[in-house]
Amino acid sequence: MGRKALGAHALVVYAFLYLPILIVVAYAFNGGRQTLNWEGFSTRWFGEALRDDTITSALRNSLLVALGNAAVACLLGTMLALALPRMRRSTRIPLDALVTMTLVTPEIVFGIAALVFFSHAGIALGLKTILIAHVVFNASVVALVVRARFVGMGRSFEEASYDLGAGPVSTFRQVTLPRLAPAIVAGGLLAFTFSFDDFYTSFFVSGAGTSTLPLFIFSSLRFGVSPVINAVAVLILCLTVVAIVVAYLILRRSSPKTLPGL
Amino acid sequence: MSKHEPVWERPLDRRGFVAGTAALIAAAGLGRVGDAFGAAEQQEAGQLLYYNWADYVNPTTYAAFTKATGIGVKKDFYASNEALLAKLKGGARGYDLAVPTGYMVQILAQEKLLQPIDWAKLPNVRRNISSKFRRLPFDANDRFSVAKDWGTTGFVYRTDKVKERPKTWREFFTLAKTKYSGKVTVLDGIPEVVGSTLVMLGYSYNSDSKSELDAAKKELLALKPHLLAITSTEYKQLLISGKAVMGLGWNGDGAAVAAKKPAAYVVPTEGGEFWVDSYVIPVGAKNKAAAHAWINYVYGAKANAVETSYTYYGTPLKAELVKPYLTKAVFTNPAVFPPVRTLAKLEPNKVSPRGTALRSRIWTEFKNA
Amino acid sequence: MAAVAARKRWGRRARGGAPSYPGWLALPALGWYGAFFLAPLAFIFAYSFAELSGFAGVDFAWNLENYRYLWDPVYGEVFLRTLGLAGFGTAATLLVGFPFAYWLARYAPAKTLLLLLVILPFWTSFLIRTYAWLIILDPDFPLFRALDVNLLYSQRAIYIGVVYNYLPLMVLPLYAALSRMDWALVEAAQDLGDGPLRAFRRITLPLSLPGIVAGSLLVFIPLTGEYLIPAILGGNKTAYAGTLIAQQFSEAHDWPFGSAIAVVVIAGMTVVLVAFSRLAARGEVAHG
Repeated sequence: MGRKALGAHALVVYAFLYLPILIVVAYAFNGGRQTLNWEGFSTRWFGEALRDDTITSALRNSLLVALGNAAVACLLGTMLALALPRMRRSTRIPLDALVTMTLVTPEIVFGIAALVFFSHAGIALGLKTILIAHVVFNASVVALVVRARFVGMGRSFEEASYDLGAGPVSTFRQVTLPRLAPAIVAGGLLAFTFSFDDFYTSFFVSGAGTSTLPLFIFSSLRFGVSPVINAVAVLILCLTVVAIVVAYLILRRSSPKTLPGL
Repeated sequence: MSKHEPVWERPLDRRGFVAGTAALIAAAGLGRVGDAFGAAEQQEAGQLLYYNWADYVNPTTYAAFTKATGIGVKKDFYASNEALLAKLKGGARGYDLAVPTGYMVQILAQEKLLQPIDWAKLPNVRRNISSKFRRLPFDANDRFSVAKDWGTTGFVYRTDKVKERPKTWREFFTLAKTKYSGKVTVLDGIPEVVGSTLVMLGYSYNSDSKSELDAAKKELLALKPHLLAITSTEYKQLLISGKAVMGLGWNGDGAAVAAKKPAAYVVPTEGGEFWVDSYVIPVGAKNKAAAHAWINYVYGAKANAVETSYTYYGTPLKAELVKPYLTKAVFTNPAVFPPVRTLAKLEPNKVSPRGTALRSRIWTEFKNA
Repeated sequence: MAAVAARKRWGRRARGGAPSYPGWLALPALGWYGAFFLAPLAFIFAYSFAELSGFAGVDFAWNLENYRYLWDPVYGEVFLRTLGLAGFGTAATLLVGFPFAYWLARYAPAKTLLLLLVILPFWTSFLIRTYAWLIILDPDFPLFRALDVNLLYSQRAIYIGVVYNYLPLMVLPLYAALSRMDWALVEAAQDLGDGPLRAFRRITLPLSLPGIVAGSLLVFIPLTGEYLIPAILGGNKTAYAGTLIAQQFSEAHDWPFGSAIAVVVIAGMTVVLVAFSRLAARGEVAHG
């Protein structure tokens, strides 16, 4: 089906995707302050970024919220994913709809709704409220990913384990969980990413002085793209690449020799 | 199955699984994360959390303040008075200092979002402030605010590209719709844009008459298709780079552009806005002492001159105190220190709730056009 | 074989036994959704019947004033424009994304790596990526200067930004669906005389329908709330539904009116969701 044409198309798409990234990386190393004048290669902006404690505290806040929310989302989402497929249709379908809603509701709507809710419930705005709001959609992300895997892997192994006399808990622990784990990790990774890069929801429910990195970037981008911001972006990029590589290496430790997929 | 099973569908062996979950749990041990949250949200004792407009403080002043007082400064930014109100009303607590414009000081006070300022802690202010900036209309008892700076809203244009030398709002509008279409910006501020249009038509900046506002709306709808952008923060750069040649904006930004490229800031003859931005201490401030310390510090004549030279906005101190520290260029710049007769035809913003609602509606139609 | 037998066993405890996961496992997640998703939405719904009092107060008048106010061509235009943007974004990402996902699923080597490469750009901040486009679109920047086209703050700039930021949301579900395809079926059909286009239409397209539906949902609905891309790349000159809501909550300070707009968006979203899920259900039933 025009294999070459498709390949060319894919190449163009990759170029399109990476063009802004190259710009960001290039100007992070631009010695000069004005974005459109190249003034020599320099790493000074990285140093400045790391020295500025508004930036480092925003980065720390983002990491805290993202990690925390990934943990909670994995817990809630996995439990949900386990319970859903084996429910009666009449309960499962509305619950499915609810989960979908949490995923697709435009963030501006959810953000303001959360703001109104927190303000009425008297919950002080801050990192905790950001985390709470993020878990709402990230639990669904994890639930979806884990559920797809859970449903796809079939029951044969669990049944075999039961037949061999293992109880439900040890079956779960020794048979189901290891096979589910890659999906949980993948879901957690997605939850981390979505939380780390989140802007709209965080904008409305953040409190005084608790900026996450995207919020900080927003407030400083208002008056021009500064090289320091570009440097921050490159730092985040490296951080996430490292995290992904680490996660991939951990996952890769599965030897294909174990269980043939079923 | 297929040999190309994606990695997330391959089962983990025990070691990998343990390593993976251990990493996740270790990184997010619930108890520890809770502590870390608490620590992150707490300010260090003796820090000032300063909520401000972007680019409104000379970057060197933060360090100088810390050196003089030992108090560190943490910053957060908002882009409009309304955004500040929204944040405070929405429940954000912990800002020690904020800088609303006069009319917003009044609203915030009415909404009980401000704490009283203790002038006893502000010797520099009492000594140096010009009497013109005490007991301002929006805070008649000087209870909640201390003036930071003042300015006007007009327009700025590139003198090397706009040879017509416009002096009125009418000229601004006409040139924008004809010769310089696509190269003009206006502020992202409802009161400024609507108010200036009203003034052009001979009405009050603060009118809340439906017929007058409708007339202003007509003018704005006609102007809209010719605009390059609606921005309060990017127009300086756009004017400097020449992508815009005229921009509705504030005097300080105008002077900042003129310092880099041939440009002029104009207070149009029909009139415009005269505003005062003031320091306030919001409810829930954790470090009132630090807030007072900052206000007192920037009211020192030398520190104030440093600020004025950066922001190009008018100082509320007695002029003769600040003059020795300012360059002649800044001191004689009519954009920074407009003559009295210019100020006479300007109005401060003082819109009623009804006027605000009507303006909001116009703004939506304006953006729709 | 075993899979078929397993599917036949319905209900909680299958014959021969397998762990049944009790329904209460779902409770923590559901509790979270209830408290932090449904309750906030309920508040918004209630607020839409209230009125702004003074500058920032709320008066629960329990009337339809806000909705009456919305029933106006000005706002109608805003909603239509929003639907237009959402529709364009969905169509464009589908057109660009489907061939891409197809290539990735069928022909690409090192699929996982290439898939990761698609997601990688999205680990820079959304804001920074979008502002980077401002640099690219700047008339002084070589790219469009060479093409002699000025897209700065234009409608087309908004479209580029939308496609750029929403492409992965379309590609991922498409890839997930296409990667499960058995390409042997397509090859068999071609062996039996179908042209490539016919094989695509009869086999690939229907089997990838769930992916298309999922991707479209993930792009269309969030796009109805998008307002930053028009604000940044479009010069902040156009109003979409998201712009209006944000404006009510941070400038006009009219929470009740903003809530009413949000309710309209939610209602629209529900309609779309129902329509899409019917489509998906039909796809599943027809093709298993």
